[in-house]
Amino acid sequence: MVSASVSSGDPSVGTTGARPGALGFLTDTTLCIGCKACEVACKQWNQLPMDDFGFTGYSYDNTGDLGATTWRHVAFIERVSDREGRRPTRLKAFQSNWLMMSDVCKHCVYAGCLEACPTGAIVRTEFDTVVIQQDICNGCGYCVPACPFGVPALSLTDGKAHKCTLCYDRLKDGLEPACAKACPTDSIQFGPVEQLMERAKRRVADLRQQGVTEAYIYGDRAVGGTGGIEGLNAFFILTAPPEVYNLPARPELPQRKVLPAFLSTALAALGLGLAALFSLWRR
Amino acid sequence: MPGLGARLGRGGATTTQQSLADSDCIVIMGSNMAENHPVGFRFVLKAKTKGATIIHIDPRFSRTSALADIHVPLRPGTDLAVLGGIINYVLASERWNSDPFFREYAIHYTNAPLLVSEEFKDTEELEGLFSGYDPEQRRYRNESWQLERPVAPGAEPPMDLTLQHPRCVFQVVKRHFARYTPELVEQVSGVPRDLLVTVAETLLQNSGRERTSAFCYAVAWTQHTIGTQIISCCALLQLLLGNIGRPGGGILALRGHSSIQGSTDIPTLYNLLPGYLPMPSTQARHRSLHEYLAAEQSPAGMWFHLPQFLVSLLKAWYGDAATPENDFAFELLPKISGDYSFEAMIPLMADGVMKGLVCLGQNPAVGGQNAVLVRKALANLDWLVVRDAYEIETAAFWYDSPEVRRGELRPEQIKTEVFFLPAALPGEKEGSFTNTQRLIQWHDKAVDPPGDCRSEPWFLYHLGKRLKELYQDDDTIKGRQIRALTWDYPTKGPCDEPDLEAVLKEINGFTLSDGKPVSSFRELNADGSTACGCWIYSGIMPEEGHNRARNRKGDDKASLEWGFSWPNNVRILYNRASADPQGRPWSERKRWIWWDPAQRRWTGYDTPDFPVDKPPDYQPPADARGLDAHAGDKPFVMLPDGRGRLFVPTGLLDGPLPTHYEPWESPVGNLLYPKTSRSPVAPTFERPDNPYHEIGDPRFPYVITTYRLTEHHTAGGMSRTVPWLAELQPEGFIEISPELATELGIANGDWVVVSTLRGEVEARALVTDRIQPLVIHGRRVHQVGMPWHFGYKGYAQGEIANDLSALIEDPNSRIHEAKSFTCNLRRGRLVQERGRQW
Amino acid sequence: MGMRYERRWETRREAGRSAAEQARESYYGVPVVHKPHWKWSIVLYFFLGGISGASYVIATLARLAGGPQLHSVTRAGRYLSFLTVIPAPLLLIYDLGRPERFHHMLRVLKLRSPMSLGAWGLVAFSLFSGLSALIQAGQDGLLGRWSQQRLRALPDRLIGLLGSGPAFFLSGYTGVLLAATAVPLWTKNFLLLGPLFLASSLSNATSALLLLLTLARQVSAEISDRLEGLERLALLVELALLLGLRANSGPVIRRPLDEGSTGAVFRGVLGAGVLAPLLLQTLARGHHGWGAQALRVLAAVLVLVGGFLVRCVLLFAGHRSADDPQATFELTRGR
Repeated sequence: MVSASVSSGDPSVGTTGARPGALGFLTDTTLCIGCKACEVACKQWNQLPMDDFGFTGYSYDNTGDLGATTWRHVAFIERVSDREGRRPTRLKAFQSNWLMMSDVCKHCVYAGCLEACPTGAIVRTEFDTVVIQQDICNGCGYCVPACPFGVPALSLTDGKAHKCTLCYDRLKDGLEPACAKACPTDSIQFGPVEQLMERAKRRVADLRQQGVTEAYIYGDRAVGGTGGIEGLNAFFILTAPPEVYNLPARPELPQRKVLPAFLSTALAALGLGLAALFSLWRR
Repeated sequence: MPGLGARLGRGGATTTQQSLADSDCIVIMGSNMAENHPVGFRFVLKAKTKGATIIHIDPRFSRTSALADIHVPLRPGTDLAVLGGIINYVLASERWNSDPFFREYAIHYTNAPLLVSEEFKDTEELEGLFSGYDPEQRRYRNESWQLERPVAPGAEPPMDLTLQHPRCVFQVVKRHFARYTPELVEQVSGVPRDLLVTVAETLLQNSGRERTSAFCYAVAWTQHTIGTQIISCCALLQLLLGNIGRPGGGILALRGHSSIQGSTDIPTLYNLLPGYLPMPSTQARHRSLHEYLAAEQSPAGMWFHLPQFLVSLLKAWYGDAATPENDFAFELLPKISGDYSFEAMIPLMADGVMKGLVCLGQNPAVGGQNAVLVRKALANLDWLVVRDAYEIETAAFWYDSPEVRRGELRPEQIKTEVFFLPAALPGEKEGSFTNTQRLIQWHDKAVDPPGDCRSEPWFLYHLGKRLKELYQDDDTIKGRQIRALTWDYPTKGPCDEPDLEAVLKEINGFTLSDGKPVSSFRELNADGSTACGCWIYSGIMPEEGHNRARNRKGDDKASLEWGFSWPNNVRILYNRASADPQGRPWSERKRWIWWDPAQRRWTGYDTPDFPVDKPPDYQPPADARGLDAHAGDKPFVMLPDGRGRLFVPTGLLDGPLPTHYEPWESPVGNLLYPKTSRSPVAPTFERPDNPYHEIGDPRFPYVITTYRLTEHHTAGGMSRTVPWLAELQPEGFIEISPELATELGIANGDWVVVSTLRGEVEARALVTDRIQPLVIHGRRVHQVGMPWHFGYKGYAQGEIANDLSALIEDPNSRIHEAKSFTCNLRRGRLVQERGRQW
Repeated sequence: MGMRYERRWETRREAGRSAAEQARESYYGVPVVHKPHWKWSIVLYFFLGGISGASYVIATLARLAGGPQLHSVTRAGRYLSFLTVIPAPLLLIYDLGRPERFHHMLRVLKLRSPMSLGAWGLVAFSLFSGLSALIQAGQDGLLGRWSQQRLRALPDRLIGLLGSGPAFFLSGYTGVLLAATAVPLWTKNFLLLGPLFLASSLSNATSALLLLLTLARQVSAEISDRLEGLERLALLVELALLLGLRANSGPVIRRPLDEGSTGAVFRGVLGAGVLAPLLLQTLARGHHGWGAQALRVLAAVLVLVGGFLVRCVLLFAGHRSADDPQATFELTRGR
């Protein structure tokens, strides 16, 4: 597996294209204890049904993935022993060796799902978050493959697409999202994206000083919020390459392909049209 | 609980979870704190953010280990050996011997300088036994464990302030632990020797005037045949390191349930009265109030006031029926006559001696040791009452259980009449929680319980009323016991719920003449003029209607305005020790309470756990009694001489000093004392349906430990039935190291069968290198681990891990040994056709 | 969404293999992105919609420049176009999670959403297709006298020309629809998919028309030659694009095209759906007897089957591509 190295000389590190007033999450995995209170709080607040996939053997992750009825998902990756089976006794500061990460919709600054949606159901709210309006969605399912992070999914019961709303209803009443409120170690932090990014930069600098040299921000313009996405309003501090957490290192906004693809198709249409004309021309 | 009580005076956490944020080093041992106390763990991380070192000593690499700085793997059941190794290292270390702080703390605040009786013989001299052992009765007589001269007020006991005398407690302790060298500890526990030294050094560097270290433990210490001694050993170590009573120091006993501290304060324990008063027993000289007080009251220390506490309790319970003439109805108070612990009940039920059982929020069909025997026992009862919010296995065993599914039992054969009463959940009732740090917080009712669900107070109160009616003409002693009880709480609401703040007022205590609440236990009297349901809670309602458990004002120090902490809103117990013998803080950095010479009182960030106006240089006159008999530099107010006890003459049944014995079931003998492998006084239940494995039994070569997950709660009644929790850990599993899995041909996710002489269960295998084999006595020993939450009801199901364990107890606490026994393992599924496969 | 995807070798059964090892190469084989739910109804839509658009264009070009000999081509083309466009919206509506809300597609027009453009494009094209078919029906005397007169008065060549834009759009936009997603196989080949669908639609339409006209005994050598010429060209372009797609994907991303059932069908399409028809056509070239006709019919059938299957393969290989974490990592690794 290739690791995505974070180039320290990259000026886009720690920057985000989030609009003024954007609210979002900083999920600092170095504080995460894998308790899954976020998963439960989210399900309880949004009254989502259980998914019940059964025992997976994926370490302590029996949920597997984000989906229509799972909007926070804690991933577990065990990296306890080395190739020779030696277990470490001296560990790096904060979370190490058993990676636990609460995955969530990234609420991208430029969102693939939003651009893809043909009904206008997916909108950007006044908090700069991305929300699927359930009274408009007709279940075409295009947002599902349009997300570079595999977030939205269609529900088998109501036929519509669902994902994290960043507790839009709670934000409207001035409350913080349920997962952030429930998180006992403040691994999930909620607030203005600008402030969170500053906090994240300080935290990463602190961590590196304490020997956690692999710590970095996932969701700035350098990693995670790349390719036209211009940053993730729900971003992370990670301590291993993104692929370890099942995240793409440098994803691209799929809709950047629309214009060039149409141009190439139009060109082909022209060519094939002329060829057809030539073929059919009365001699 | 007895572990901390015996050495420090109170059976409870000495510090708060918040205080961990002030720690310089936190050792989490016998606990998986991040998983089982996730909210409290935030304070560990706060400490870490301030630069503390976090050490996790645990057989498994768990979610706690992931956040620690050092993970120390050890064989389950060898915690005492490791702690002993640390003590041995500390006592010989350069730092302990050169920094005057440690000796100063030991000499003034502990019984280190006191001389032990000449008759005392240590395990070193008797190959693993203490003097006074009766092998036939399998118990100790503790006459030879006394000090040269017992503590009495007015008489300075013989002591050596230089700590050189061969019989001074300090030297006795030192000799006792001399055997626990890093090399030997490595052999016994599997902890690499240099790692042990690292832990000991880290503790040493983080103890002293400027720095403090804390220990956090939970049931992985308690649930052993030597559990009390393991905990007590930690108290010994923390006394030697001078961490008790100091901010960021102490011992945080991490109790599991939201209110389990409350359930030992106002106890559901058979051997205690509220406030940790000894239970009258036919096996002691307790035939009258006078005898009881003579036996249990101590002339010095807090227990001098036992009469006030007991008489006030009797007045609370028996009201007008308790008069000075009739010994305040002491005769009516039930007495115990033996072991009434839950484990002891199981054989009695199985043999038909015990006829009925009431389970309030308890699920022994899953949670009880030797659950196979438990279910057999339940099937032998005449009647069973289960009160719970869900139809747990204990309520359903009569028609559905592994035995029924296997065809071993048919419902028609089970004669038990089962009553299932629905219970209300926390949001549906008002009341209080007393959490692990002795903090009482009130909670209000949010919604009415559905249908027939009722709260525990409703049930008990109305049951009591009906019993009183039933016995109203009964003049036997049993009838009088019921009739004499005061049972007149006001009720409210459409269901006639008893008003719990009225109950709280009774618990707080009040004067009978005017009904006014007392403001502290010092206002309680022994003449029948006060009533008090639990003296340690006095002060929680100092005026009518003022319920301090409702307070919700926090700050960044002790948060004295948040809830009420017993005793008397003290947050850190024994906090006199946070100041030096002259009453000054040991350092600016670790300032907590101190003597204000201008005001002539103790002041600081916390309520002093000490008479507030006793100067540090106070010397007691010869005729002083109670707390007046303690000098001004003696923090441990509950103990007779105010000194923390490195050596415990009375109070522990298995020795005045902690000693490592192997778990009852172990693959190896005791390398420390080969002649005494197991605890000589652990209560056993030798019966055919509770067979034990021999030490080193080759049929059961693997060490097995059982534990909890964040996602589930104890026997699963409240978590396997909740879809959002059930789906997080939906099936029972067993964690196996890759090494063992390779040996046995097991792949991740395979079904495996785990077996002991008690039973067999099947579970999914989670192959993980968070479990590792250890080198014990020079050979590789495998360990495995299983969460024990699972049962056959609810959404998340699995076989019952406790079908594997045996009935065996710690002698002091009567707690079961669940954390370390042996088993065998094979790939496959159970052969019998079960009614439903998982 | 369930856990129903292949997890390759990450979770294979091997004694001693730990959870840690199952997470070494990818997150236990759990996909990084989510695959679309589209199945048979969408494949059919691609197929029929493609034929509809391309046959409209052929009909129009035949009308404009083909001369009287190609009148039957125009007729067949207009009718074929209309008949194949009717099921198109029905298939799409059927595929929706909430079919009763299909009209929400027309609440907005989003230029960066191929699906939004497609919905509007389908509406626009259907109007043209319907109108042209109506005009043709009028010319063929299938309708009453009054309508015939009206319809004959309409500028059918202009309408055809204007409609050709939406027609080719319908045939080709579905490639862009697939390309503007996170599915590695599709988005890696974003410049090739549209042209591929277009070329394939053209060859399908030509084959369909040949088949229809042959069956209706309205085919002449002239028609046959000219349509076959077009078909040959379209097939060759399709071949080049398919091979190019496979090459451009690279070894990791093209795995679904090489392995498994999708790999087998892909090879089948190349062989039986493209190369074989080309061969058969070459054999039959210049001959017009029974045997040659039979070969041509066979070739046409193979092209149509291949055309349906190539959309199947692209869709289901896309599913597998989305399910393959390695493919996503390959795509998004960056420098």
